[in-house]
Amino acid sequence: MRHGSGWWLLAPALLLLLAAFVLPVGLMVPMSVRPYVPLVGITDGFTVRYYTRLLTDSYYLEIIGRTLALGFTVTLSTLLIGYPVAFFLARTRSRWRNWLTILIVFPLMLNLVVRTFGWIALLAQNGLVNQALHALGLVDSPVKLLFNFAGLLIAMTHIFLPFMVLVLIGAIQNIPRDVEDAARVLGASWGSTFCRVTLPLSAPGILSGSILVFVLSISALVTPRLLGGPTYQVMSTLIFDEFLQRLNWPAGSAQALLLTIMVLTLVYLSGRLARRTGAGA
Amino acid sequence: MSGAAPALSVRRLRKAFGAVVAVDEVSLDAAPGEFLSLLGPSGCGKSTLLRMIAGLVEPDGGQVVLAGEDITRVAVHRRNLGLVFQSYALFPHMTVLENVAFGLRRRGVAEPELGPRVERMLELVRLGPLGARYPRELSGGQQQRVALARALVTEPRVLLLDEPLSNLDALLRDEMRVELKRLQERLGTTMIFVTHDQAEALILSDRVVVMERGRVEQVGRPEEVYRRPATPFVARFLGRANFLTGTVAGSEADRTVVALEGGSLSIVAGPRPGLTAGQVVHAVIRQESIRFEPPGAEAGPNHFAATIVFHAFAGQAHHYVIQLANGRELEVAAPGAALPLARGAQTFVAWRPDDVVLLPGGEPGPGGPR
Repeated sequence: MRHGSGWWLLAPALLLLLAAFVLPVGLMVPMSVRPYVPLVGITDGFTVRYYTRLLTDSYYLEIIGRTLALGFTVTLSTLLIGYPVAFFLARTRSRWRNWLTILIVFPLMLNLVVRTFGWIALLAQNGLVNQALHALGLVDSPVKLLFNFAGLLIAMTHIFLPFMVLVLIGAIQNIPRDVEDAARVLGASWGSTFCRVTLPLSAPGILSGSILVFVLSISALVTPRLLGGPTYQVMSTLIFDEFLQRLNWPAGSAQALLLTIMVLTLVYLSGRLARRTGAGA
Repeated sequence: MSGAAPALSVRRLRKAFGAVVAVDEVSLDAAPGEFLSLLGPSGCGKSTLLRMIAGLVEPDGGQVVLAGEDITRVAVHRRNLGLVFQSYALFPHMTVLENVAFGLRRRGVAEPELGPRVERMLELVRLGPLGARYPRELSGGQQQRVALARALVTEPRVLLLDEPLSNLDALLRDEMRVELKRLQERLGTTMIFVTHDQAEALILSDRVVVMERGRVEQVGRPEEVYRRPATPFVARFLGRANFLTGTVAGSEADRTVVALEGGSLSIVAGPRPGLTAGQVVHAVIRQESIRFEPPGAEAGPNHFAATIVFHAFAGQAHHYVIQLANGRELEVAAPGAALPLARGAQTFVAWRPDDVVLLPGGEPGPGGPR
């Protein structure tokens, strides 16, 4: 067989990537350096003011920081909640296993807007959560759970949990049971086997699940918009407003490019990390 | 067996998976330093038995006794046993050194002592310079040596081996057999070895336990189980054998005469007290016990005219199928150095009465060899 003869199989995917991703992102580069004049529009010329503003103005820095913090905490909480679930589903011999897996995927079949509105009903000042907390006597006045970090964290953890669980199930199922049995016979207790063998061997799944959830949560628009309201901004809602409300396409382009660069850097770094730790062995 | 206390005893051990009884009240003893094989076809319960000894499968009943101590309820990681898997089961995220050191670290062996012990064990399995490699960078044979070193370095009271050589190719397997046997003789470790390969079991073992459908069919030295099979299953499973069904025509002090089905021929076996005239028996004759006789030779017992109906050369031996006067076909293996006989040739065959094993025909006779 001719070496590398399989490359043309990549062609459809590469073409799609080129047309739908590389080209639009590339077009944003010249757009992001053109001056926008209110009431006039996008004018000819060259400026880097949208970049400098983005990286120096505390308003924007706070939004960037908040977006990253939200991404990391959502990733961490889906991981912490999802790993035990995935571990159970990967290992159980119960005949309910397939049904339980479907249950994990089930929320994805509901419209995102509907799910988000559900959270509004639950998290509002006089929503179910606050009523329950009050009835239990845990709080005197309602806890603020909407239009802030806590609300976004709760809702987005729920929304992205299925992705994490599905990726982890695959990774945990790939760990040969013999390897864990070998560790136990060699004198490792259950906990020690988990920490020294199971967990390191599920690292590739943890890494890809985390990348997936992180990228999805820092680029999510609908949930932050509905649960954060017009004032509690993250980068995606900021970009949305810039393009569609203020019509300041150059500023929006600069912000969108920064978000893209952040995502690509993170994916690159985690790839390096995976190679270094020998995950995927 | 010596009178020493057994290194490992299994008492009426039992395990069922749903309605299927995998291991049915099996009792066994392994003497200190003994190499004991559990031999049987896949699904006979040998691996389940081994896993129960290791503690990875919980028995439904019975006991596992290690050097006099009942360990049936002792947790896997406190049993101080070694286990080598068919899949090697090395830790892919650790180097060879870390793999071998794993068991010692779990036992709290201090680093200054640990290093030399790991090095020495790697030398013993001839992997000295490969300590820094990862398992994926090793060949199958090397990986299995790492697995052996990893299990042996902790000086386990008993080493359990679950078809450790089955994933290796034929040449390497022969090499590893010799290596394993020499290692065992050198270290004196008691080993329980599960295999479905009868040749492997015969070559390696001090004693062989033949298992079928969760039960022990026979326990004995390799020559015993091969030459004196206790049941038709053992006779069929260890090497190739001819089965002739007949009835006992006469039982004398020095010989037993069996009239074969059809009535025209009878064969002579060694003395076999306990058989009565008229009883149905299976006569088992190994294919290498049958020899060709020159035409003029004096006719002793079990001397028959035969026709060659098939011949194939297999290096160490010639394989023949011959037909007796009553139409019955027998398989014969003659030494490979002998001159071959052509298909269709008329000849004579004979076998010694002592080479005939008589098994009471309680169960229906098998149709032919294996």
